[in-house]
Amino acid sequence: MEAIPAPVETTPQRLAKVFRQVTRSYTLRVVVQGLLTLWAVTTFTFFLIRKMPGNPIQLKIDQLMDQRQLTYDEALASAAGLYDFDPDAPLMGQYLDYMTKLAHGDLGKSILSGGTPVIDQIRRYLPWTLFCVGSGLLISFTLGVFLGMAMAYWRGGTLDNVLTGVASIMYGVPDFVIALLLLMVAGVQLKIFRIGDVLGGISPDVEPGFNVDYITNLFQHAALPMLTYIWTTVGGWILTMKSSTISTLGEDYITVAKARGLPERRILISYVGRNAMLPLITRLAISIGFVVGGSVIIETIFQYPGLGRLLFTAINGRDYTTMQGVFLTIAAAVVFSNILADLLFGVLDPRVRVGEQS
Amino acid sequence: MIALNDAVGFGAAATLTGLVIGVLCGLVPLILGLRNAVIRHAIIGFIACVFGGFAAGVWGGLLMMLLSTAVVISFMYVDRQDPFTSRASIEDVDFEESNFDFFIRQMAALGRSVRAASYALVRNKAGFIGFLGLLFFFLMTVFGPLFIEYDGSTHMERRRPGAASLYSGPSREFPLGLDWQGRDVLSHIVYGGENLIVVSVEAGLLTTIIAVILGALAGLLGGYVDQILSALSNFILTVPSFPLLLVLASILTFDSLSYLALLFAVLYWPTLMRAVRAQVFSLRERDYVQAAFSLDLGLWHIIFREVMPNMISYIVVNMIFTIRSAMYNVVGLVFLGMVLINEPDWGVMIYLGRSRGAIFNPDAASMLLSPIIAIALFQLSLVLFTRSLEEIFNPRLRQGL
Repeated sequence: MEAIPAPVETTPQRLAKVFRQVTRSYTLRVVVQGLLTLWAVTTFTFFLIRKMPGNPIQLKIDQLMDQRQLTYDEALASAAGLYDFDPDAPLMGQYLDYMTKLAHGDLGKSILSGGTPVIDQIRRYLPWTLFCVGSGLLISFTLGVFLGMAMAYWRGGTLDNVLTGVASIMYGVPDFVIALLLLMVAGVQLKIFRIGDVLGGISPDVEPGFNVDYITNLFQHAALPMLTYIWTTVGGWILTMKSSTISTLGEDYITVAKARGLPERRILISYVGRNAMLPLITRLAISIGFVVGGSVIIETIFQYPGLGRLLFTAINGRDYTTMQGVFLTIAAAVVFSNILADLLFGVLDPRVRVGEQS
Repeated sequence: MIALNDAVGFGAAATLTGLVIGVLCGLVPLILGLRNAVIRHAIIGFIACVFGGFAAGVWGGLLMMLLSTAVVISFMYVDRQDPFTSRASIEDVDFEESNFDFFIRQMAALGRSVRAASYALVRNKAGFIGFLGLLFFFLMTVFGPLFIEYDGSTHMERRRPGAASLYSGPSREFPLGLDWQGRDVLSHIVYGGENLIVVSVEAGLLTTIIAVILGALAGLLGGYVDQILSALSNFILTVPSFPLLLVLASILTFDSLSYLALLFAVLYWPTLMRAVRAQVFSLRERDYVQAAFSLDLGLWHIIFREVMPNMISYIVVNMIFTIRSAMYNVVGLVFLGMVLINEPDWGVMIYLGRSRGAIFNPDAASMLLSPIIAIALFQLSLVLFTRSLEEIFNPRLRQGL
């Protein structure tokens, strides 16, 4: 019994070796970790939002009793008929049901919007947020990189002194303050634009399509939220880029490049710029994850039809499935962008690559 | 005990009791300084104590007394242990130290730190402006009620002839105008900052304490503790925090705003915790920390005596940013109507002003702008103040005294 034949032992050994290799694989570990995080987020939010006081049917009953003067039983009957949702079903059953559907890629149907699939709702609201915050992020990042680099290169100069002050002021003021100020000062007091022309996502009388009218209208409505976003984030990019550039300028290879008599522009772009941008690229990748969520407050102020606003209405109306779907979408974006940041850093920084090989 | 705290603690702020406490506390550095001919600092110390006692009761008075006495002692202290750099003559040198000597030596060291810190505070212009801004809000919140009475009832009689609403712009009688009930906006600004500032500071402190302790534990212990804490922080960072705060705020009902601060701390510790953990990891490999480990000096000693002093600048600056972010989130919650906070409060002013059409009413501009500007200025002061804090707590930057 003790003497186990040698050939039998090799199979588990080989399996163990393969298993070790698989578990050691960095990419796989990251992906599994991401999936686990998403599962945890889904479970956590599932039970959490059902702890919120009131449920969709309860809210509808209150509304019906209030508006149409129905008795409680009448309201209950009509509210229960409206929604395909049973608040008394056991929670665990609901959870298992939801997870099974989720595994098949089905986010369920919105409780409040008469059975519209949640995925369709997200598809409808997400592009607005992506367009508005995404282009805001790009503009803000580009501006920040160029200004920050210029400030570091001519540090102590007028540009540096003025912009450092301006950047900390911009960074110090919260975004909803900027949003309200824009609306009140530029819109109401100075009458630069008509308030009705900028609130919402698009004017109702404009035909969607690839034409000048539509695109102008699109930008006209997105301009204020975008401006707010740029205003509050550009300061951070400027300051990070500045400190990153300053530390790069102190590196030996810059001195060597100068000693070799390379043209100033070449040093600035290929020697300083590329290296100083490394830490910013990672931050950019991480920021992309937060683009998806938009901002509940800003989108509420400008009545912009983005994902943040969808989430806020869902929270207020206790639309469980929609809330779940939006939370999951945002979490997935964050997880994905973190993985992206990891991978990008490896690609961009040769030192990391070499370190992995050896 | 609570009654006593109300009478002489923070409850004594801006009352006669507070003033008396301040004067009593001020006598210590004054007498000590005058007897030892450090007159200028004795008088400054006295004023600081009176101010501290008047503004924050016993706690402020005692704190100021400690600091200003330390400064006075630092001027007259002769280091008997160090015959080479101090003014001690060789007969005075004595390597036996009594408890009293030890106390005096520590006080002198504290006094020197206070002097260096106040020098660093004034040296950075931006930081000093931020400090003055915070001081202004502090004075306004504490002493404002002495001069301005809270205006909480509707004043129909203040309607101007022909006006559609009670909203009104600035006038001589009401410098910041009137709100939709004809109430004095200035009084709401003066009274409305207290809750918001206190909650934000509480939230900032709690978040920092949680983050530093967990980060230090994860960094120093490593292993399973580190893995569990890292997984937890990853998880919290993945869930969108502000919407989560919205959901949680609707589940939990608060009878005290401090719970809101605690809720904020629970959701926002991971960012700082990760940074602390990373720094502890790198500090752990330094020789002096390794030496402390091999001497078996104990985990708390290593955390607070060896590792913390090197990170204190970073932690304090981060705490200020956390306070800022807490205020943003609290105002955001109030603005969306998810947390019910009583008037007077800056956030409630914005929320009610917005829901009562103040944005579109040119007369209401000053009513809506006042809390907005107050919040913006407070946050700006916080951000600017970090410049000074960096200099105060960074030993490398703090030279030249």
